[in-house]
Amino acid sequence: MVPKKKSTVLALGLAALVAGCGHPSNVSKEADHSITNARMSDNPVHTIVMPHDEPVFPPGPGRDEFVTACVVCHSPRYITMQPRFSRSTWLSEVKKMKDVYGAHISDEQVPKITDYLVSINGKRDSGQAPKGIYGE
Amino acid sequence: MHIPSKDLAPPYLGGLILNQDSCLDVRNNPGADSTTGNVRKVAFMNRRRFFQVAGAAGAALMASPRRMTSVLAASSSTRELVRFPEKTEMILLTDRPPQLETPIHYFRQDLTPNEAFFVRWHLEGIPTSVDLRTFRLNISGHVRQPLQLSVDDLRSQFESVSLIAVNQCSGNSRSFFEPRVPGGQWKHGAVGNAKWSGVPLKSILDRAQVKSGAVDVSFNGLDAPPLPSVSDFVKALSIDHARDGEVMIAYAMNDHALPMVNGFPIRLIVPGWYGTYWVKALSDITVLPQAFSNFWTDKAYRIPSGPNGTESPKNLAKDTIPINRFNVRSIFVRPDPDETLRRGMPTEIEGIAFDAGHGIRRAEVSTDGGATWADTRLDPEIGKYSWRRWRAAWTPRSRGQYRLMARATNAIGETQSKEQWNRSGFMWNVIQQVDVRVQ
Repeated sequence: MVPKKKSTVLALGLAALVAGCGHPSNVSKEADHSITNARMSDNPVHTIVMPHDEPVFPPGPGRDEFVTACVVCHSPRYITMQPRFSRSTWLSEVKKMKDVYGAHISDEQVPKITDYLVSINGKRDSGQAPKGIYGE
Repeated sequence: MHIPSKDLAPPYLGGLILNQDSCLDVRNNPGADSTTGNVRKVAFMNRRRFFQVAGAAGAALMASPRRMTSVLAASSSTRELVRFPEKTEMILLTDRPPQLETPIHYFRQDLTPNEAFFVRWHLEGIPTSVDLRTFRLNISGHVRQPLQLSVDDLRSQFESVSLIAVNQCSGNSRSFFEPRVPGGQWKHGAVGNAKWSGVPLKSILDRAQVKSGAVDVSFNGLDAPPLPSVSDFVKALSIDHARDGEVMIAYAMNDHALPMVNGFPIRLIVPGWYGTYWVKALSDITVLPQAFSNFWTDKAYRIPSGPNGTESPKNLAKDTIPINRFNVRSIFVRPDPDETLRRGMPTEIEGIAFDAGHGIRRAEVSTDGGATWADTRLDPEIGKYSWRRWRAAWTPRSRGQYRLMARATNAIGETQSKEQWNRSGFMWNVIQQVDVRVQ
């Protein structure tokens, strides 16, 4: 009886785990606990599937450069999350990504990407915008 | 701001759009019950479907729980709720890598549920699968006995300890800085309080037999940079800090395994210090005979060396130091911002306060914009690194607009800022203001 019971628990745990992985948003609270129990005891492999839902930015000058240089490493939501920044702030962000974080952005791409970001989420330069430095 | 979205997104990808209008919808429905099922259903729909349903069957939307109002009201602009694996509906900042903020109403509980605990990763390559049969925590470097420990080893070979501690993102509340600064645009929900269980780091370092002359200990996790040119996320503590007996390697959070996006299977717990040091999915500990140096400590996560990490936009500080301990702060959890209260009706004002471990000794509230202050009742302490709840009764006597404020003071007399700014948007602890209307 013991082995049978154990295999039932394992099966339930796996079912919950599979449900949790395949449909991450559909995990009920109960299933969450099953996952916890499963991976704590029976199932040594724990896997999740990340959702993929990124905004698509409109066409415009610089969009190709933005997609190749920026979106390769992070979601465009890193742009839309920000308040509207002046060109000087966006420029310093692009330079920060290039020079400090190690993004593959050529010198020629810097102004193109900057202009595109301003077109998406920019505002007029006030002249007193703080330089963005390693904001986390 | 409009965020274009893919029309053909799978059903679970759609977020619930929050704005003031839907806030009113929820509020004006006195029959709203507190089940969460309907919210889940709404949140699962893609956006187009959501609006169809919202238009055609408003009654279904009306069933949103009342507790949602705090999220709705806290959003001065449109913010989206999403569900990630093993998480409940969270406020979406970014999806890749994920940054998810906790709705404030969860802070009405002393321990923040695992599924609602905030999420913040730096690098795109976050771990999504861990095999506990092969996962090892490696301890190496300036030690006599390098170790490779499985999670079972940590559970079975070391004495287990538990600790309630606040974890707060360095940039929590960044969106309140003026002028605005780039970075994760958090409101007040990049913080949580949990019971962490695991092994003191000291026990592990002792078993590894640290050689004399050790200076720093570095911590790396399973996350990986998207390009070789991007610095891996590695953080370090001094050897004395690492061996203080309080820094912990946690394999449980509120008595359950950590959610993957919160650092499964183990993460570093650094009580009283900002979350940047709480390395998730911890896999490598390296003891160093010299000071640790990398991008994430030399250039990122630094604060002006002056008081409370403050500087002026027009006169940036020349000297900066790595961010370290929490300052004192408090956060309203009740009433909701912009909530309308009733004249003559007793109201409970409630909040949480915490610091770096000295302990909160006083929390005061003002209901007149800071002109007068009154002490609140403090709940019993549940741990020196936990937050502490405060409560105050208030019966507004006349109609009108009121500005509530709250300020906390700790055991060594440190209190909150009146104004504050730094270029990276770290360590916000300005006295919070909540405007409410009394009818």
